[in-house]
Amino acid sequence: MAEPFFFSAEWAADVRAALIAGPSEQARASKLQEYWDFFELIKGMYPASWALGCRTLPAGLGKGPAYLYIQWGGGTVTDCKIIGPDDPLDATYVLNMDYADWKALHDGYDAQRTVMYRKIRLEDGKLLEFFKAIYFFAECLAVIGAVPASYPAVAGT
Amino acid sequence: MTERKSPTAVLHEGPRALTDAQVREIEESSLQAVLDVDIDDVIEYVHKDLKSLPDFTTLYRKYLKQRWDVYDLDFTQDKIDWTEKMTEEERQSFIAVSSGFHHGERQVEIELPVFMIGASEEEKLHIAAQIEDEARHTVFFDRFYREVVGLEGEDIMGVLDASFPWVSETFVGPFGLLAYQADEVRHNPYDERARVRYGTTYFLWIEGVLALSVMKVTLSYARWRGFLPAYYTGFTATCRDESRHVQGGMRYLQDAVRKDPTMINEIHETLRTILSLAGVASRRIYFEPLGWTEDEVTMLFFQQLRRKLNDVGIDLAPDIEEMLQFVQPQLAGG
Repeated sequence: MAEPFFFSAEWAADVRAALIAGPSEQARASKLQEYWDFFELIKGMYPASWALGCRTLPAGLGKGPAYLYIQWGGGTVTDCKIIGPDDPLDATYVLNMDYADWKALHDGYDAQRTVMYRKIRLEDGKLLEFFKAIYFFAECLAVIGAVPASYPAVAGT
Repeated sequence: MTERKSPTAVLHEGPRALTDAQVREIEESSLQAVLDVDIDDVIEYVHKDLKSLPDFTTLYRKYLKQRWDVYDLDFTQDKIDWTEKMTEEERQSFIAVSSGFHHGERQVEIELPVFMIGASEEEKLHIAAQIEDEARHTVFFDRFYREVVGLEGEDIMGVLDASFPWVSETFVGPFGLLAYQADEVRHNPYDERARVRYGTTYFLWIEGVLALSVMKVTLSYARWRGFLPAYYTGFTATCRDESRHVQGGMRYLQDAVRKDPTMINEIHETLRTILSLAGVASRRIYFEPLGWTEDEVTMLFFQQLRRKLNDVGIDLAPDIEEMLQFVQPQLAGG
């Protein structure tokens, strides 16, 4: 079966399933249990939503800017969908990243440096509150990046 | 160098009093003479002026006298020590600690320029000097990792990429926060509240607590064992540079709170975020091969934080005092 296109409705559905399932056994085995206990603690009470944008979405994948919207509640993902440029954007935290950096994340670049090197940037939302859950966010970003998807080549990438 | 007292001895001795001769030795030593300076004296020297902080012009003048050439260091003996004298456990423990610095120095170099925009003209001189210091420290670690540890890379980022596997996942806490706070300051360079939040992360936490604590772990090991003379020399000179950075940073925070006492809320809010993350570790680091236990490193963290807050006159809210009980060592600095 062909992989869904990046930023398609099918991909968003796969992202939702992957986030609910959580990090892989391999990822879990590489870090201390106390780290994952903290991850689960945050996940269990996280009330916020993320709008993760792709600033330079290739024309073949839809009209940009588009966002992957994820709503957390009750320890799970309660909503996960693609928001197009004509849809209302209402999320606790709005972040944005270039297409090339989304693809690099998919190809295995780590989520920690994706944040630290500002490949993904917070454009709207309370920074200090956002960072209280940064380990949770970074692990979820890695999960999202690992979801199988077709990333069409574009000129210059 | 010969073997000296144990790395953790100073933890149990408490604060020491520096004589005028010791202060002169620290302030005026050439790079070569830094090898003979005791790292515990340099860390004490950081605190010497915290109660009556020097102004930014004085700090800039000190920089002009204390600037050193990172290319004067000769890592030949360090390479011999690393490959022939240190055990594999010592090497792994050392690199687990020093990699946080390898990346930390780069981060504090690139995140600082934006803070200069809203600074006074005198502070701009000090910040410009600090940026040059941090660039030099970045080159210091680049040379250490290439010439001693043996990592390869086409450029500075190539070597950083090669050492990143040793960096703890929790590094993104303070350093990711600093990057995003730098963005806040860039958007609003004269927003004093954003500057104080940034300054709390950069000057108080990363430089004042993390850096000074972790510097001591590897430097006291090198001094204790008589190993890695160029590393000891360059990193002790780095610690002397950090004394100016911490004093300048504390001066900025102290002035901001004196001018507007409500700024203490920005410091507290930032510390709440930092401390909510500081109680979590993603990897177990074995300090024992370097002569430390995790509890002793934690104690070092507390000592560094308490002394900064007490000397500068920053009181903590009760809930922050409670959060301090759960802090764990973060192996990074800048």
